[in-house]
Amino acid sequence: MLLTAGALSATFGLSSLNDSKLAGGAAIAIVILGLSWLIGWSGQVSLGNSGFMAVGGYVTAIWANHHTATPIIFSLCLAMLCGALSGLIIALPATRLRGPYLAGMTLAFSFAVGPLALYFPSITGGSGGLFLNFLNAPNWFLNLFSGPQALVQANAQWSADLSIVVAAVAFFFMANLFHSRTGRAMRLVRDNDVAAELAGVNLQRTRTLAFVISAAYAGLGGSLLTLLSGSVNSQMYSLQLSILLLTLMVLGGVGTLGGAVIGGLIYSYSDNLVSLVNKLTGINPTSSLGANLKGVFFGVLLILTMLLAPKGLGGLGARIANMANRLRPASMRAPTRE
Amino acid sequence: MGSFFSSRIMTDILGGLASGVVIALVALCLVIIWKSTHVLNFAQGAMGMFGAFVGMNLVFHGVNYWLCILVSMMAGLLLGGATERVLIRPLYGKPEINPIVVMVGFLGVIESAVPSIWKNEISTIPTPFSQVYYQSHGHTILMSPFVAFQIVLSLTVMGAIALLFRFTDLGLKMRAAALAPEVSRLLGVRVGRLLTWGWMLSSGVGALAAVIVSSGQSLAPSNMDGIFVSAFIAAAVGGLESPVGAVTGGLLIGVAESFALNFWSTNLAPLAGVIVLVVSLAWRPQGIFTRHVARRV
Repeated sequence: MLLTAGALSATFGLSSLNDSKLAGGAAIAIVILGLSWLIGWSGQVSLGNSGFMAVGGYVTAIWANHHTATPIIFSLCLAMLCGALSGLIIALPATRLRGPYLAGMTLAFSFAVGPLALYFPSITGGSGGLFLNFLNAPNWFLNLFSGPQALVQANAQWSADLSIVVAAVAFFFMANLFHSRTGRAMRLVRDNDVAAELAGVNLQRTRTLAFVISAAYAGLGGSLLTLLSGSVNSQMYSLQLSILLLTLMVLGGVGTLGGAVIGGLIYSYSDNLVSLVNKLTGINPTSSLGANLKGVFFGVLLILTMLLAPKGLGGLGARIANMANRLRPASMRAPTRE
Repeated sequence: MGSFFSSRIMTDILGGLASGVVIALVALCLVIIWKSTHVLNFAQGAMGMFGAFVGMNLVFHGVNYWLCILVSMMAGLLLGGATERVLIRPLYGKPEINPIVVMVGFLGVIESAVPSIWKNEISTIPTPFSQVYYQSHGHTILMSPFVAFQIVLSLTVMGAIALLFRFTDLGLKMRAAALAPEVSRLLGVRVGRLLTWGWMLSSGVGALAAVIVSSGQSLAPSNMDGIFVSAFIAAAVGGLESPVGAVTGGLLIGVAESFALNFWSTNLAPLAGVIVLVVSLAWRPQGIFTRHVARRV
């Protein structure tokens, strides 16, 4: 709650460029949270969340092109519902499987979504994709601003605030889900599915539910991204995006709210990060390595994190805090969490 | 006779078998790695493409085609061995998610690193045999000397792998190391080394598959993406454990995609693979060629 309020007030101080970066980051953070829930809590791997994002994005764009005056909240809910439905279709056969089967199956799904969109050019706009109106700030929000750049600033900030609020709601639900009966059952299924079954947990239903929730979050994030960018096309939701999502999630820390926030922030400023690496290593950004540096950098980062710090940056922070705590005299130690 | 071979259905089956053998080859590699180290190698296609890039670019410098294939396969072998040693070995005994994530990351690294090493190679790789389709009594048959070469080469390599595993001492040791590592170790089998060799074998064969796919078109790091997805589906349909299942699945997927391509649209071919996977998993989740094994608690 505090974090949300802080982030909302921060958008007032930032430039419109930073606002739009944060807006995208918040949308991606929702998707990462859904993936993080699936992998960290139910122990299933999905490489298909970019496909569910595409579903959400296309549904939003198609709906917006037919019904211009739809409240945003309605488009978001619709995209979420369609994401969940497509997740259900994939989940029914997939959740009978374990680990690698599921990952491969979702990979095949995300691979098939793009061409599928191209098959219906009259609905999806073919390879050019669809366009919709940019988000415009309502008048009461506009009135808060003055000066020559008021309109640009207000619109950028409105999108950032909107997606931060949506992300906050999504995070709130997920936080509750973590500690609900379903969340506990999920952890048991992940750690020992035989014990879970003996305790009366319906394995397939629990796994399917986890998958559907994750797909719904991906649909919501994809819808939000489409609203923010004002366009959707089939190249956006490629295998590369799935890899990037996985990287960001692992970097932030699997299965935690904080990890998803970190992942979203890294996404927001990934271009700055890559240009920083460019500067530090002295690689010419126009050279062929410079052009592909983003992929190499994030791939290497993903592998290193998995090998060296599987709990991600969040886990690393906790470990450092823990070590610092142990260095203090016993009377001053904070109670350890582990 | 000629009209029979040029009929629409026969055309689809022939074309499907031609792409199916390559899919089957890659699926076989996936099964070898899965059986030995219980890792699904998501970078299989990309690793093969890396080998193909190393070898086949030499074609443009006047090196003999067959020598280039050999170089590609050697590059694939080395990359496979290095990958097992550096990336996979630290992960044995960790949750099964970890190697998946690492190999996905490796896939990303290769696909971005390859175009930054070899830039702007847009020239087409020559084919060793003619690509002109055979004619029979005035009908075109969807079979050229090059396609026949693809099929024969893939089948030969598959046969060689089968012979290796079935009749040689090395193959016996590799099977033993995969089936019961502890017992093999007690009997003096160098299990770790054999696992590395398994990876080398499958990555080298992957490079060969990448060369077969890329001949007649230009080299691109994503050439193998579609093949990999189909190969995974093939291996999963066959049960991931069974080499025979993987090869059968590969041919099945090849033909199914060929039918989808011809009767629906190019854009629906990947969907056909997904449908085959969904149906076969709903029918026999353990794969069509694997006996159902009760999981031990």
